Amino acid sequence: MKVLCERTALVDALNIVGSVVPTRTPTPVLRCLKLTATDGLLVLAATDLQVGIRLGVEQVDVEQPGEALIPADKMTQIVRACDDPTLTFETENHAVHIRGADSHFKVFGYDPSEFPPVPEFGDATVDCEISAGTLQRLIARTLFAAAAEHSRYAINGVLFDRRGKLLRLVATDGRRLALAKGDCLTGEGDCSCIIPSKALKLVAKLVDDPDATVRIAVEENQIRLAVGEGPDAAMLSSTLVEGAFPPFDDVIPKDQDKKVTFDTATLSSAIRRAALLTNEESKGVRLSFENDKLTLSSRAPEMGEATVEIKLDDYQGEPLEIGFNPGFITDALAVIDGGKVTIELKAPNKPGVLRTNGEFTYVIMPVNLQ
Amino acid sequence: MQSAAWALGAATPCCRTDMLPNPRRPWGRAEESTYILSCQGLAHQIRRDLHRAGCCSERGRRPSQYGTMIPVPFPRVILHVDMDAFFAAIEQRDEPKLRGRPVLVGGAGPRGVVAAASYEARTFGCHSAQPMAVARRMCPQAVVLPPRRQRYNEVSRQVFAILESFTPLVEPLSIDEAFLDMTGSDRSLGTPQGIATAIKRRIRDELGLTASVGIAPNKFLAKLASDLDKPDGLTVIEPDSIQSAITKLPISKMWGVGPATEQKLLSLGIRTFGDLQPWPCNVLESHFGSLGSKLHRLCRGEDDRPVITDQTIKSISQEQTFDEDRADPDQVRNVLRGQAEKVAMRLRKGDLRGRTITVKIRFGDFQTITRSATLHAPTDRTDLICAQARDLFNAWADTGFQPVRLIGVGISQFTDEAEQFNLFTQRTDDRSRRLDATTDAIRNKFGSGAVQRGVQP
Repeated sequence: MKVLCERTALVDALNIVGSVVPTRTPTPVLRCLKLTATDGLLVLAATDLQVGIRLGVEQVDVEQPGEALIPADKMTQIVRACDDPTLTFETENHAVHIRGADSHFKVFGYDPSEFPPVPEFGDATVDCEISAGTLQRLIARTLFAAAAEHSRYAINGVLFDRRGKLLRLVATDGRRLALAKGDCLTGEGDCSCIIPSKALKLVAKLVDDPDATVRIAVEENQIRLAVGEGPDAAMLSSTLVEGAFPPFDDVIPKDQDKKVTFDTATLSSAIRRAALLTNEESKGVRLSFENDKLTLSSRAPEMGEATVEIKLDDYQGEPLEIGFNPGFITDALAVIDGGKVTIELKAPNKPGVLRTNGEFTYVIMPVNLQ
Repeated sequence: MQSAAWALGAATPCCRTDMLPNPRRPWGRAEESTYILSCQGLAHQIRRDLHRAGCCSERGRRPSQYGTMIPVPFPRVILHVDMDAFFAAIEQRDEPKLRGRPVLVGGAGPRGVVAAASYEARTFGCHSAQPMAVARRMCPQAVVLPPRRQRYNEVSRQVFAILESFTPLVEPLSIDEAFLDMTGSDRSLGTPQGIATAIKRRIRDELGLTASVGIAPNKFLAKLASDLDKPDGLTVIEPDSIQSAITKLPISKMWGVGPATEQKLLSLGIRTFGDLQPWPCNVLESHFGSLGSKLHRLCRGEDDRPVITDQTIKSISQEQTFDEDRADPDQVRNVLRGQAEKVAMRLRKGDLRGRTITVKIRFGDFQTITRSATLHAPTDRTDLICAQARDLFNAWADTGFQPVRLIGVGISQFTDEAEQFNLFTQRTDDRSRRLDATTDAIRNKFGSGAVQRGVQP
């Protein structure tokens, strides 16, 4: 293999592909990137055996097609540290020579055939197609709420739930739940699976053109996504999370009798200020709703207390005092692109619901303020 | 002297003239007592305020309300009061027939351990923490009594009431020993020796018991001192005499040195405190890690730990030693479940919630292992604590069960964190909380055996 490669394009590609490479693994080849040079294209591939990624770089001049398998960290360090506009990659047995204008690196690699297969999209059956921008928005509005750790439910991933062209992504950590809706471009029948958080984080990174089309194929225990068309399409594959997603429809309340609308920025600012006087021990902000105002208050032992007021003009229902983890609210407000947000409540020990124009629903369980 | 306390900069306005010289000098050293005397009233005030505010005067922390304070060398006066053969002495006091006879308090079963040995029994080589069988062989004529915990607690409260009448700065170390910080009390109460004598007299006159007292500039030396002249002793280590008092002491007497560290020190040729003194701090750290710098200070008799009165509970645990090693995992599981229930009940009684659950297992050869897990939210619920304890036990038992001598469970990492409700388990959470409240109420009214869990939670 001998390839001349534009360095900045390679840096961008390495930033994405590198995040799949596992940092701790007993298998040295998994710490490597596989380079495949074909006609006018250099494909970088990486896998941790759960998530696999293939990303094509077009800004290359392939003198001699071939393959190489070299440690990801060394390759990334070298490409980042050099300031040459182009670098040449040439294999010699299992080693790779990287040459700049005044530098030469020889990096020992492995036999490319030892690398586990990284799936291509190939001729997989397309389940649905969706615009990259829509998918990116749905991911941003749900992924943050997914659980970091395992529990008795499969919630360390995001539920992908498609009914015809309507796609819903749902994520929860058992204390709050985010649900985002969007339309697919194509899609028939129903499809439901749980995608690991790591894979979805990468999908969001792979999208550079919101108008591109993302093809999605779902098989028994694997999902494949291709962003864009043609040989340089970025391709991600991931095993699915096994197990049952909790019955999320049951926990979205339908009989809330208190309702109020906020300007997102106003509410966000008030919560962030009230949260300044909470600490690890007392993570709750108290929200006191009255007819004409909302008072947010917090108190941290040995630190102090805070009060912030917001005028209300459309509060419906009886006055209510309820406590929330402020982070849970600001997390959601951060992914609503401005505008208005409606909060619906019922009682101090019942969930609160945040909604925006039907596309985003967010359920939060309160904290006990007693 | 490394110990530090707070004194005022010369220009600070709250330095009052009515606190100036007092002819009674606590350590009899003019240059230091000048400092102490001019500031003692204030020091008293500071300590009282800090005490009320729930914080102690840790070294390096400057409570700003006292203005520009600088730490100055300031010998503290720390008393360590240790009751002599506490349990055995109570038994002898309560039952005159036992006076003058060797008495052993502790479990009489095959695995019983001596909790206290009267001084008559100690002359035969008996001591506390010894297997009862060994103690009885050494002293067959000894009277063996089962412990009466409630009685001892009662007397302990009386002892502490006496101590607290001398100073609010009392740090209980166990049921029968405590540290008292009497720094600056000489003006109102007399010399440290005088105070110690008064404490001992009141304990003898009012309770009919004897205590040994150590007086020194810090906790470590005070505890050493009280041990030097038992029973009914009174030993003072003055700042001047620290070196001579400790240099010949074996290193096993050092706080933080257990059998393992002792072996390591012996292998380096260090037998006494004096042997350790020439070793530079960094060399000790390279051998012993963070313990190294402690050793470096302790071997010079330096110890700046404050007397802490605010004894917040850090963990709650239950454990049980079996009469014979248990080879049936299910039997152990049952005991563990009962312990977890008790721990949960004590949590709720103390209005505490903890995050880390630890299971302790000891084998016949005394090898002890612990397994712990941290929940993502603090809890006081019986079902969650039982389940976590059982999972920890099973994870160990599944990989290689061995007969168990002792089993125990504890919970720690208490927080006041606001309780976060859960989305998917709210109904079971509510039910389980109601169940806990109900069983607690029944047990409080009808006793702990009144209600039992029928199935594994």
